[in-house]
Amino acid sequence: MSDKKAATRGPLTTPPSTPVRTPVQTLGEALAERGVSRRSFLKFASYTASILALPPTAATAIAQGLANARRQSVIWLSFQECTGCTESITRARTPSIEDLIFDFISLDYHHTLQNASGHAAEEARMAAMEENAGEYIVIVDGSVPLKDDGIYSTIAGITNLQMLEETVKDAFAVISVGSCAAFGGIPGANPNPTGAVPISDIITDKPVINISGCPPIPEAMTGTIAYLLSFAAIPELDHLGRPKAFFGEAIHDRCYRRPFYERGLFAKSFDDEGARQGWCLFEVGCKGPVTYNACATLKWNGGVSFPIQSGHGCLGCSEPGFWDLGGFYKPLSTAKGDPLKWAGGAAVVGAAVGAASAYAARNLRKKSLKAAAAAATPPTAEEKE
Amino acid sequence: MPRDARATCLDATVTGMALSVLAEVGRLLEALAASGQPGAIDLRSLPLTDADREQLEELLGRGEVQAELELTGRSEVWETAYPGAWWIRHRGAGDRIAAEEIAVCSVPDILLAHPDDIRAAARRLQHDLTTQQAPSAPEAGATNVETPHV
Ligand code: SF4
Ligand code: SF4
Repeated sequence: MSDKKAATRGPLTTPPSTPVRTPVQTLGEALAERGVSRRSFLKFASYTASILALPPTAATAIAQGLANARRQSVIWLSFQECTGCTESITRARTPSIEDLIFDFISLDYHHTLQNASGHAAEEARMAAMEENAGEYIVIVDGSVPLKDDGIYSTIAGITNLQMLEETVKDAFAVISVGSCAAFGGIPGANPNPTGAVPISDIITDKPVINISGCPPIPEAMTGTIAYLLSFAAIPELDHLGRPKAFFGEAIHDRCYRRPFYERGLFAKSFDDEGARQGWCLFEVGCKGPVTYNACATLKWNGGVSFPIQSGHGCLGCSEPGFWDLGGFYKPLSTAKGDPLKWAGGAAVVGAAVGAASAYAARNLRKKSLKAAAAAATPPTAEEKE
Repeated sequence: MPRDARATCLDATVTGMALSVLAEVGRLLEALAASGQPGAIDLRSLPLTDADREQLEELLGRGEVQAELELTGRSEVWETAYPGAWWIRHRGAGDRIAAEEIAVCSVPDILLAHPDDIRAAARRLQHDLTTQQAPSAPEAGATNVETPHV
């Protein structure tokens, strides 16, 4: 499958009716009134360029794009979800440059955060859709149940499916945040009692950007929104619809424990000498080699740490089907004592190990995580039949 | 030097990365001298340990210019001992480093006043002068910016 290429706003949307709008302030003008100088835009742009892995020289263009943009209308729909994704993006802390993104958007509908409720809330959604037809962004967290006509999750008297289709109709783009919206996640896990599906199974006529993770890294969400605002375009996506800036590399590629992996030094349990020495967590179930996310570089809680740094293997939460892999503590390969063999596909030693294991991991990427794990795991008795 | 809070067991290791960055700064300085072409290196995207970062800062040294900026959190800019090579450190939540780069240019953009800010400043000063002279008759259409920028 070929990658979806970066696209611009023009050819992607043909809004059926674009209402005549009175001129509204640019973000530069609006924020200047609150004492936010253009230097602050530039600082935010430097931060954004850095998390988007763009060259620092792109900061000036980002700052200019943001200053000239209008406040972006965002309608946030929450379906079968746990609100963890909202928790992640709104992580409470002192106002800082990272939070300037919240001044750039107008969050016109969000169950958890809006003041309005009942009919007033739904009217706000309708008003935002009408006023910003063709230009608003719909962010969705949670999957959509389709079984039994979608009755397993309803809001305001309509099913999630109805609300999604109705709301997305005139949107510029859809962002599926979290693995539930991106891939079905927990509600879609075996045996998937509600027939939960990801947003991309339903919305096929608009760009759908998947920011997977359980929850996603906040910078991956805010960085993607900042990109949309600055360039009025969809960032380059991988074959699962995820921005390559955040999902272009495996956790394993950037893991600081990688030198131990290369030397074959593995923790065998969470309290053994290897664990205390900070050795590789592959044998205690780390899914880093087949998981694409930015945890090892952006880290969590403003860059404090990430699971592997805190002593726990990667769960693979940003990959499709990560719940059904058979156990978070089960090694990707159960081939006894030689995970390198799994990673390299052959006995690989010395300097060649790094390149070979990275190559093998990238090859595995072509399959889903589930398929990769299945390939690395002996079939069960049932499967043998 | 205030430390980034990302403590790992590798923090104290000098990997040699600082020397690679230094060589890159040298190439960018040559380009700036030859054609005026500015450049920059994003330090956050590089696998620098804290020890590498300290080594790089020490190797580049400090030059004649240092500036501290209050922009939704602190930022620091200083010219290194190699004129044209600037170290820019932006701090975010909890005073942690949110972005950090070495800019190779005459003056980093972040130090320049933006034309829009200059226009707004002119309007604001005019307004302040007017209200000081005739406080009972504020100028119509004056900007409502109250907080001085930077
Ligand atoms: S297997 Fe996990 S802990 Fe080991 S190097 Fe890879 S990502 Fe890091
Ligand atoms: S380390 Fe792995 S499981 Fe943990 S948040 Fe990152 S991608 Fe998800």
